[in-house]
Amino acid sequence: MDELKLIELAQSGDRKALTELVKLYEQTVYNFSFKICRNKDRAENTMQETFLSMVKNLNQFSGQSKLSTWLYRVVSNHCLMMARTQNKHEFASFEDEDASIEEKEIADRKVSPDKVTENNELKIMLDAAIQKLPAEYRIVFLLRDVEELSTEETAKIVELSVPAVKSRLHRARAFLRNELNGKLGHA
Amino acid sequence: MPENKPTCKDVMSHICDNLGEEINSQKCIDIKAHLESCDNCQHYFNSVETTIEFYKKYNVKLSDDAHVRLINFLGLGE
Repeated sequence: MDELKLIELAQSGDRKALTELVKLYEQTVYNFSFKICRNKDRAENTMQETFLSMVKNLNQFSGQSKLSTWLYRVVSNHCLMMARTQNKHEFASFEDEDASIEEKEIADRKVSPDKVTENNELKIMLDAAIQKLPAEYRIVFLLRDVEELSTEETAKIVELSVPAVKSRLHRARAFLRNELNGKLGHA
Repeated sequence: MPENKPTCKDVMSHICDNLGEEINSQKCIDIKAHLESCDNCQHYFNSVETTIEFYKKYNVKLSDDAHVRLINFLGLGE
């Protein structure tokens, strides 16, 4: 059954269709939540709150955008809200200086991205680097580069202009590259 | 990422898209000329692409227990 039909049935109170919708997107929502939170408990909590919001508000869903886009927006808003209420130690400030190419630090990487699933030390490095980014930058990087949404879709989800998304993306990429280059460049 | 290495055109298109420029604009032609002769920039852009690949490949799987907790949380259990 296609997604729109499932949504229609769920909107009319069909619990089986609603359960199918949850199953269809639970892995995507959990994975995206984890990528923002970098913590499995928080990711699970975010996933639960996201689907609760979907259940409560599904009747307002018009079908003009994809359901996945709607879910990404709920996850992003939930994480931004958490980031604003948590203390500053967990969401470190980000120097909004011009992101630049640090020539002296450029080096060839010896660690392959293919090793990430089996290398816990590498995961810790990746978690630490991205957690230094403020949630607003992290979400743009994840939506645009990792989830491969378009710049326009990303802009709608985070309610920013397209140039603002591009600017944040550029800064986030440069920041992460510089952070990881120092740690992985000579590995 | 040798097997997924972007072509020069991919890189140019990506950069110029982010600059809001057409790929045949003077600005992009100048950038291309610079990139073709600059090892530093080539290393930089390769390492940005690799950074993105690291985060793309770092995924977590939802456990069966977490799935059950979600269904129960939503009141959708049998």
